[in-house]
Amino acid sequence: MGRTRRRSRRRTLDARRARTAYLMLLPAIAFFVLFTYLPIGNLLTTSAHSGPRADEFTGLGNYTRAFTDPAVRHAFGITVLFAVATTVGALVLGLALALLLNRPLRGRVVFRALLLVPYLTSVAIVGLLWRNILDPELGVLNRLLAALDLPTQQWLITHPLATIIGVMLWQHTGYAMVLFLAGLQGIPEVYHEAATVDGAGPARRFRHVTLPLLAPTTLFVSIISVITGLQAFGQAYIITDGGPAAATDLYVFHVFNVAFEARDFGYSSALSFLLVVVILAFTVVQLRYGRRGEVRY
Amino acid sequence: MAYHLTRRDLLRIAGTATLATAAAPLATACGSGAPKSDTDGDAFTVYWNAGHGYQAYEKVIDEFEREHGVTVNFQKYQWPDLRTRLLADLASGTVPDVVETQGAWVQEFAVSGDALSLAKYVAADGAEMGFPDDWLPATVSRNSHEGEVYGLQLHYTCSLLLYNRTMLDAAGISPPSTWDDLLAAAKELTTGEVYGIALNQDSSYAWPWLVQNGVRFYDPDTRAVLAPREAAEEALRFQADLAHRHRVSPVPVPSTDYAGPQKLLSAGRAAMIITGPWDLKPIADTSPDLELGIAPVLRQKEQATISAGASMMVPAKASRPDLSWDFLRRITTLDVERAATREAGMLMPRKSWAEQPEVQDDEHIRAFADGLPHARDFLEEIGPTGRSGEIADNLFKTLYQSIVVANTPVSEAFAVFDEAAGRALAG
Repeated sequence: MGRTRRRSRRRTLDARRARTAYLMLLPAIAFFVLFTYLPIGNLLTTSAHSGPRADEFTGLGNYTRAFTDPAVRHAFGITVLFAVATTVGALVLGLALALLLNRPLRGRVVFRALLLVPYLTSVAIVGLLWRNILDPELGVLNRLLAALDLPTQQWLITHPLATIIGVMLWQHTGYAMVLFLAGLQGIPEVYHEAATVDGAGPARRFRHVTLPLLAPTTLFVSIISVITGLQAFGQAYIITDGGPAAATDLYVFHVFNVAFEARDFGYSSALSFLLVVVILAFTVVQLRYGRRGEVRY
Repeated sequence: MAYHLTRRDLLRIAGTATLATAAAPLATACGSGAPKSDTDGDAFTVYWNAGHGYQAYEKVIDEFEREHGVTVNFQKYQWPDLRTRLLADLASGTVPDVVETQGAWVQEFAVSGDALSLAKYVAADGAEMGFPDDWLPATVSRNSHEGEVYGLQLHYTCSLLLYNRTMLDAAGISPPSTWDDLLAAAKELTTGEVYGIALNQDSSYAWPWLVQNGVRFYDPDTRAVLAPREAAEEALRFQADLAHRHRVSPVPVPSTDYAGPQKLLSAGRAAMIITGPWDLKPIADTSPDLELGIAPVLRQKEQATISAGASMMVPAKASRPDLSWDFLRRITTLDVERAATREAGMLMPRKSWAEQPEVQDDEHIRAFADGLPHARDFLEEIGPTGRSGEIADNLFKTLYQSIVVANTPVSEAFAVFDEAAGRALAG
């Protein structure tokens, strides 16, 4: 009898605690509902309409149109290429820089700070800066090449996508480096010492100790980089205006133009929702396969 | 005595915070940049181009504020940002009182029902303000839809060939008047780091060549785009050849900045550019010693160039249309036009403006004023389709860049353009 009463009191206490917890969470839930889930709901509703005012019901028409639209296929293709290239670049360069600056170098704090500055700078400023640097006639880079008797380049004309991938890497590699540095500093030195005692050289220690223990960081950097790459907009908007001839018409920039040039909010909403689905799919796949590489000693 | 928060206190705080979070968007809905609703009676919101904030207009605004007891919220944007902002406002239903527009926006918004017809105001005040008799006819038609006026022209300009007189004189070359003359001159003037001519990356700068070759953006009878096609291909091919075959122009670099050729002319790196009066001030400011010449309108099949300029419209949902109309009326008086010309060298739509001393006594402004009779509105026929935003801004830009920047064969580039333009026109 006494035990039943105690259990009942505990259940009441648990329920009250749960209620308190939910009430404490309410502000955050309200925030997400208002600023994330309601807009997504609104986006889905709009995506089922067409016309300049998005007031003509079309059902799934905008979605079927998206799958047959060559401009969307092109924009999606180059955006995936952009995301993959910037992710691979950020992983390789970020890890290389982190390994370099994890050593006892003089002035390494300054180098770390300098490499992080581009990431802290607005994409608008970075875009304007590089647009001026890369201008083939009046830009500093070609002036420098000419002064060194090297051939000048039409950076934004011959290889525009590669050029904005380079700008993206210049801006974001510092952030990947900081994450890898944190990961490297979280690996206990004892593992390296044990491997050294077992006769492993620097290359084997890197391959069999450092890399596996960095797997969670690598997974995080790759997920963040892929999402950032798929959502990239400022590089196309500010540096190339999507050109030449749509060569840098990144997906979000394309969606922006569908909404604000073609004035088709219904179609742009459908395209936006499809991007959400794609990003979710990429993230799930990365999480599923990325965690296989994780090890614990 | 220390105060301990009870569970009940915590619940109250959580509830209050939730309400505050929920109310925040409502409280900030009319935040810093948003147009005021009609309950904020003293604010009058005007969206304006960032480059057109002249003192002459500020003076009109001061008088307008004094007379009507309102505060003008004069918001300035670059054109693309202004369009983005306006479309977002139209979608939300909270609109500004007056909007400065470019290209075929007035017709586009008239077609979609987002622009207010000014017919009743024109009927009441037109004769007194000289409208439409004192306005160049093209400036009335480009702001009309199905016989009703939806906008008033603010500036009316055209594009002409500007050249470095010292360079042409040194080479013994007269200002070109045909495409052949221009090509010969450009070849002669291209030396070392100097280009004979600099083409613009902005695709609208391709249009003087197209209209000189007799091209129309849209033929409403046949529903053909860029017709006659052979003439359109020839005009775009000619521009591509200037950059890629004859190498007398740098290849235009795609970006949102249209000032590249002006900078090259100012820096002495280009001898000729095609542009409008908006580049006169930057050239004078950055290279005051440059001897600038302005050639008459070029001729190929026709002696023609394109008109440009800005208009003003009132959104259909504007809360005080009478006040909006009064703003339009005040800012288009001849005195204000003359003041803006003195201040910025801008060209104006009134016929009587062209006779004023500000125009006749200034060699450069007079040259542009003389070009106006040859100017065509290349968007005039595509505007009423309501698809000019997509076709003229997006698809034509891609076509221009394919041919002139990327040197793609014209047939290949046009095949892509035709497919997309057909889809856009079909809606």
